[in-house]
Amino acid sequence: MSSFASLAPSNYSPGELHFSSPPIARDALAVSPLDEPSQTPPKLAIAAPPLDLTSLPPPNPTKRPRHPRLPPSYFTGRPDSTDNYLNLLALLRRYQTLPTVPPAQAPRVAWRTVTQYRLLVGEPVRASKYHKIVEVLQRLNRIHPSVIPPDLSQAMEIYKRDVDPYAVKKKPAIIDEDGRAYGVGRRKSSSAKVYLVQGEGEVLVNGKSINKVFGRIHDRESALWALKATGRMDKYNVWALVTGGGSTGQAEAITLGAAKALMVFEPALKPALRRAGCVTRDPRRVERKKPGHVKARKMPAWVKR
Amino acid sequence: MMIIRKALIRLGRRIAIAPARSWTRALATEVDIASIESSPSNSLRDTKSIESQVQNETVKVVPQIGGRTQSTQNLLEDNTAAKYAQLQQHKKLTNPLGSRIAPHYQPHFLVNDPPRPSDITLELLLASQAHLGHKTSHWNPINSRYIFGIRQGIHIISLDVTASHLRRACRVVAGVAERGGLILFVGTRPGQDRCVVKAAQMAGGCHLFERWTPGSITNGHQILGNCRTKVVDEYDREISGYDEELRDRPVLKPDLVVCMNPLENWVMLHECGLNAIPTIGIIDTDANPTWVTYPIPANDDSLRCVQVIAGVLGRAGEEGQKSRREKAMHGNVTYTPSALATGVSTKRGRMGRSREDTRGPQ
Repeated sequence: MSSFASLAPSNYSPGELHFSSPPIARDALAVSPLDEPSQTPPKLAIAAPPLDLTSLPPPNPTKRPRHPRLPPSYFTGRPDSTDNYLNLLALLRRYQTLPTVPPAQAPRVAWRTVTQYRLLVGEPVRASKYHKIVEVLQRLNRIHPSVIPPDLSQAMEIYKRDVDPYAVKKKPAIIDEDGRAYGVGRRKSSSAKVYLVQGEGEVLVNGKSINKVFGRIHDRESALWALKATGRMDKYNVWALVTGGGSTGQAEAITLGAAKALMVFEPALKPALRRAGCVTRDPRRVERKKPGHVKARKMPAWVKR
Repeated sequence: MMIIRKALIRLGRRIAIAPARSWTRALATEVDIASIESSPSNSLRDTKSIESQVQNETVKVVPQIGGRTQSTQNLLEDNTAAKYAQLQQHKKLTNPLGSRIAPHYQPHFLVNDPPRPSDITLELLLASQAHLGHKTSHWNPINSRYIFGIRQGIHIISLDVTASHLRRACRVVAGVAERGGLILFVGTRPGQDRCVVKAAQMAGGCHLFERWTPGSITNGHQILGNCRTKVVDEYDREISGYDEELRDRPVLKPDLVVCMNPLENWVMLHECGLNAIPTIGIIDTDANPTWVTYPIPANDDSLRCVQVIAGVLGRAGEEGQKSRREKAMHGNVTYTPSALATGVSTKRGRMGRSREDTRGPQ
């Protein structure tokens, strides 16, 4: 029953109901099965009887009157997000004639993700609905920064992420007071820390000479490929600390680390090093063995029966 | 003789084997081209021209977009604000100039400044295409009492009947608003959202312009139970201290539902009927008038007609709210206090106390 069952006076009883027209009996509207045997019965909804609004209830000043107040979007099931969307649309209508900038020149903003917005409002918002909100925000963000009203910028702040990822600036790599540049490289499960200084071309890996560490010529060459490819073998000394993995992994890890350290000294070498294949971190790792397979991919011999 | 010739041949071979020094070694940033070209990942093997090699040696600056970069800083420094202010000034001066345009239909007026119940005229309804029904073959014969006739294969609705039903609906909406009832305006077709929201705002009620979740009334605890509410007094000021009762309360139902497209919302109208909630609806020639308590025979397919009807009903609700507040100012509360604090919730029933006992008489 409605919480306002007492809209009629307190002496309300069914016998005093007022009807504008005689109520339609349910039987009269029912369809006899003999008339339309094959069709489904029509949708019958008997509306509630009309209200009696002829008199107001008597005033009762004894008790302090109180009744619940609902948000306007209560019956949508998602009141806060619906009201947010309506507010944004109202703002857009008000400020749609202000001058705008092309999208590429508008300030770059990281809007909240769907998950973050759901947490904010505490409602199960549909992703498509939130994308509509973001579309309106992007249009509002295109308003020229010099004419944007303060209440609009304030309204848009709520939808921005708590931490602005575009405000994060990478710290520039430096050459420290000892003249060393530092680079980290990884390959397979090996990790290498490589220090480069101006020098004659000496190389030490884990405190040992490179000939002792890498028995294969291929490994030695690939470890210092960054310097060899750019012709700087005699210009820098290399100090590398490498752990994990095997010989090839460690050698390739030193490649990447040395290339990064070299780019600190000479940033202009980046295109050359990229062509030499020293700049990209090789993401390949050993693939795990799966059930039903002998190895990661190898399967046991197929048997007909 | 042969020794010298052999020596010369050996010398020639040595010269042929030794690689020619590349001219790029003269550049500041020297690179050994041979080792790069022998590298398997060299993608420039095909383009061996010197120009491309030189181009790739030089560092290119890619323009960045983000934060307060050069371009955005330039935006703040250009005189757009001044030019816009100039434009506004110019508009103010030139707007009064020119010929006067006679009052005419402007779509946004229907939503921003809707007509009042006193503005209901047959001319307004005719201009809003309220008389246009559907094809004669699509009619519901119960609606024959509302139909004026047939023209060009469609039924024409009697506008005097429309006007009288609309005025009755306005009195119902005003009466419910005056008694502090909750009115829900529903219009789920595209484009009806603005007028429905405006009508709900004027009548102090709720709106719905997207799909009605079936069970919002019959299964309200499940669907709408999480939405927060607050308690207000007769002057619409919020009263604190009812958090407990609000948590335990049964879910609220509207006291009157106004539906702009009953054909699509028959589930909602059925739920209202089950819960004795009276309904108002725009009944076209193909709709069933028994689905609603107070039908308004009109054209539900014309957005202009729907905006007029929603606007008029919203204005009626506004008048009802105004009347209620005026009566409250004179100490006449037009509704009985809600069962919020006087009803027994499950929690307090167990505790065996009511709020009045703990707080004393108010």
